[in-house]
Amino acid sequence: MTDPRGVLQDVRQGMIPAHIYNDKEIFELEKERVFGRSWLFVGHESEVPEAGDYVVRRVLEDSFIISRDEHGEIRALFNMCLHRGMQVCRTEMGNASHFRCPYHGWSYRNDGRIVGLPFHKEAYGGEEGFRKKGQTLLPAPSLGIYNGLIFVSLDPDAEPLEDFLGDFKFYMDYYTKQSGDGIELRGPQRWRVKANWKIGAENFAGDMYHTPQTHTSVVEIGLFREPKAEKRKDGTTYWAGNGGGTTYKLPEGTLEDRLRYVGYPDEMIARMKEQWSQEQLDVVGKDGFMVSAASVFPNMSFVHNWPRVEEGSDEVLPFISIRQWQPISEDETEIVSWFAVDKNAPEEFKALSYKAYLMCFGSGGMFEQDDVENWVSLTSTAGGPMARRLLLNSRMGMLENGQNVVEPLTSEQYSGPGSTRIGYSEYNQRELLLRWADHLERPMEKAAQLQVGTSPAQGGSPDGTGHSPAERPGSSAVETVSVEA
Amino acid sequence: MPVVKADLQACQGYANCVVGATDYFDLDDDGIVILLRTEVPESERARVTEAARSCPVSALVVED
Repeated sequence: MTDPRGVLQDVRQGMIPAHIYNDKEIFELEKERVFGRSWLFVGHESEVPEAGDYVVRRVLEDSFIISRDEHGEIRALFNMCLHRGMQVCRTEMGNASHFRCPYHGWSYRNDGRIVGLPFHKEAYGGEEGFRKKGQTLLPAPSLGIYNGLIFVSLDPDAEPLEDFLGDFKFYMDYYTKQSGDGIELRGPQRWRVKANWKIGAENFAGDMYHTPQTHTSVVEIGLFREPKAEKRKDGTTYWAGNGGGTTYKLPEGTLEDRLRYVGYPDEMIARMKEQWSQEQLDVVGKDGFMVSAASVFPNMSFVHNWPRVEEGSDEVLPFISIRQWQPISEDETEIVSWFAVDKNAPEEFKALSYKAYLMCFGSGGMFEQDDVENWVSLTSTAGGPMARRLLLNSRMGMLENGQNVVEPLTSEQYSGPGSTRIGYSEYNQRELLLRWADHLERPMEKAAQLQVGTSPAQGGSPDGTGHSPAERPGSSAVETVSVEA
Repeated sequence: MPVVKADLQACQGYANCVVGATDYFDLDDDGIVILLRTEVPESERARVTEAARSCPVSALVVED
């Protein structure tokens, strides 16, 4: 048996019970309390550019249709027919004005409203028996969009997405707003690895320390301009709002020099200068740091890197990837990985940037393969009884008395928000797990239920008990929501 | 010009026609088909015929 209270106490001290990376009971709690209410990334507006475009994405077991309705509005509709619960959309992406359930033929507009209900009169007695008017596929309880990135939360009272992201938005803009039109995506690639979902999220949030060891061979073959992976320690880790990441230290030079150094052409640099705030430009031009990997709590990550794409040339080219660590079980994760590129980038840049992404990340990427072997092996070992005797030390950067090994950069040294330090540390991994612990500790509110086809708010009760027919006796703790006609 | 005709007694409110050609078909409050237009230009014949033929109870037909 797992003692969640003890686990959370240890985690808050930066001591990580190894079994949390492969523990069924912990995973059940995570499903309920982390994924049951956090903001979760499901897709980007550019994936559904035209009215009727849709993609189907999951929030753990729950399938959502992310559609652009006929009025251009983005919807996230629970992919379950209101009749018998069949999935109404069974393809992964497409364009449709309507979705029709294959079971009994009920159909819905792409904004979720029900249209076709066969034999409504004969089978149900029309509206008297089943209130069809105003019924819609169940929308995601909360939906938020930032820079075109679409998030849903199963918590109807979730704080606004932008409040949740907070100062991390400053850093998200480097990946997703290099010009006024933002990014377009390719993908996603999806594949499963036998590893716990938290490991990748932590790794991308702040693990600069693994690069010289895990990725030695990639550096040795000259994929990067710098001959030594140890250069990683000259960069920073930052934490801001509900996300954090890593940067590389750039060589001396102007803003333009430094953006050219990582491979951006002048026309893209000109648009960045128009788009980004002075502080965002200063992190690069004045302070000399360039964002690399990052994670947003709980399971979304970004990558930005600039490998060589041509054999025998010193030229590098940057790529951006967005990814999600979608939990399948305590020891399995589906990685969903997109290539992202500025919509206004030259076509040649887009093509080479995509090549750079595929070399490094994605289902066949070299970094990906290096990383995953560690994570699979770690997960497997964490499932055994000996792992329960081990509290892993995740206190890097902190002395035993709590003092910092390296102090955060001052506002003279660094122009970005949040807390930023040079060198190796595990502040960001701890920040992620602190939020994880806060969620696991807090019980869930009971969710509202929708009773399909009934109208509890419509006047009196036929049985004279004061209960409308939609109200289930004995379920007073459950708030029942009816959809008005 | 070909015209589309509906058998309102046969219609059972599947809305397959609405899915097929939302500019020709809709349902009223009782779930019975409404013809938004009846004349079908030759250029749209294939699409509207396909929508009409998708009716599970054969309530729709495109005729010359």
